[in-house]
Amino acid sequence: MNPENIPGPAQTSIPEAPFSGPLDFKTLFETLLRNPQVLIVRLAEPNHGATGRFAIMAATSILLFGLVLGCFAKNEQLWAAPAKITAGLIFSGLICFPSLYIFSSLAGARVSLSQLAACLAGALALAGLLLLGFAPAVWIFAESTDSVGFMGILAIGSWAIAVTFALKFLKAVIFATGGTQKTPLTIWSVIFLLVTLQMTTSLRPILGRSDLLLPQDKKFFLQHWGETFGTSLKPTLARKPRPSPEAPQLDR
Amino acid sequence: MNLREVIQPAPDWLDKPSPRRVAFVALIACTGLAFYGFTVGFWRDPVMGLYVAIKLPVLIALTLACNGLLNGLLGILLGTGLGFRQSLLALLTSFALAALILGSLAPITFFLAWNAPSPESPGASAAHSAYLVTHTALIGFAGITANLHLHRLLAVKAPTAMAATATLLAWLGGNAFLGAQFSWILRPFFGTPRLAVQFLRDDPFDGTFHEAVWKALDQLSGGFGLPALLLLMILLTAPILRTIHKNHQTTPRP
Repeated sequence: MNPENIPGPAQTSIPEAPFSGPLDFKTLFETLLRNPQVLIVRLAEPNHGATGRFAIMAATSILLFGLVLGCFAKNEQLWAAPAKITAGLIFSGLICFPSLYIFSSLAGARVSLSQLAACLAGALALAGLLLLGFAPAVWIFAESTDSVGFMGILAIGSWAIAVTFALKFLKAVIFATGGTQKTPLTIWSVIFLLVTLQMTTSLRPILGRSDLLLPQDKKFFLQHWGETFGTSLKPTLARKPRPSPEAPQLDR
Repeated sequence: MNLREVIQPAPDWLDKPSPRRVAFVALIACTGLAFYGFTVGFWRDPVMGLYVAIKLPVLIALTLACNGLLNGLLGILLGTGLGFRQSLLALLTSFALAALILGSLAPITFFLAWNAPSPESPGASAAHSAYLVTHTALIGFAGITANLHLHRLLAVKAPTAMAATATLLAWLGGNAFLGAQFSWILRPFFGTPRLAVQFLRDDPFDGTFHEAVWKALDQLSGGFGLPALLLLMILLTAPILRTIHKNHQTTPRP
């Protein structure tokens, strides 16, 4: 879609795209962070090649973040956790994409399917990059704690912050392409968030350990979280006993 | 370059994050923290002093290194207009100021350690407690001053005061959360009198700072951990937010 044809208030707010060459990884990375408005305009043009690159950025970042989560339980989770969260996020993106198109149209946006696909991939890439930023800190805690609840809060908290910025980018897409209402995107955002949270239960275990790669019984994520919040890896993973009886919290 | 440039940075301080400037600020931070760290551990044992002189700069370096990507991303996304190297310089400058404050107090804290009852004496427990409270207060003062300083730096650079505040709070939250855990991993710093002098405890990765605080808080409050935690957070954040708000009104615009 040519952005010049977009009616409504967005016409005055759309900046000119200052670059017309191929969108390589570096350009996409910098524009996504620094100048998303310009990127949105550029993505409306054909042959930008950004969708695939964004998808690679998202998948790589999330795989690495998953590897960090896998370090919590180790063993088979070192490959299972990255595979599960990457597959889960791609699946969530795919099943939520049709509703994103409809809801963005309801919001008044005039965005093509290919542009919206590129923007959704860009949003997931942005979330992935932020998760990559959280990864070193999460790894430190994964090596330090045995509490599934603590790690769960940390992982979900990181995801919540990352997805907030991703949804902010999608909101910019809607308004830059003629959207005037934010309610449809807000509803879609809640749906997307619920889908991704349910993935943590549908693909369990992601943090803990189990003999089964995937669950046999179905549960709502709140029920699963409630059941696993207070659990620890200690009964299943033998750790070295503490050498001295002193309470560590007193040792400063 | 001199120390005054770090204490009273020019409005364009963050515009030129050259490797030389970053190295200079990092050197100030390391030196100040090493001097202060030595006096922290000295009371327990001079060897402990040497350990802490190494560990305090390492604590800051690890925190900034691990959160480097996140801090840079947040700096850009929250609209300060700072790049990755500028974010690093801003945070390093803030840590360097805290290090300068603590380093300048090191002769006094050394004197304090020199005059405190020895760890083997009958009054060691009380001395340890007093020592902990004194250093916590000093570190708290240096930390708050450094963060207000950082906010002024950001407010000059950011297009809006809100962007500066959001970035500061995001950085503060992330670095405090991870820094607390690194301080746990790198324990001991003060050296509990009845425990051996060690560079690291035998199992440094056993447990987390936050879980230990939560358990202690829950125990102290008789099972009302969550309300106690909320109250503590309000008491901690309210004065910070009020000071930042005042800072908005006094920060000179470029």
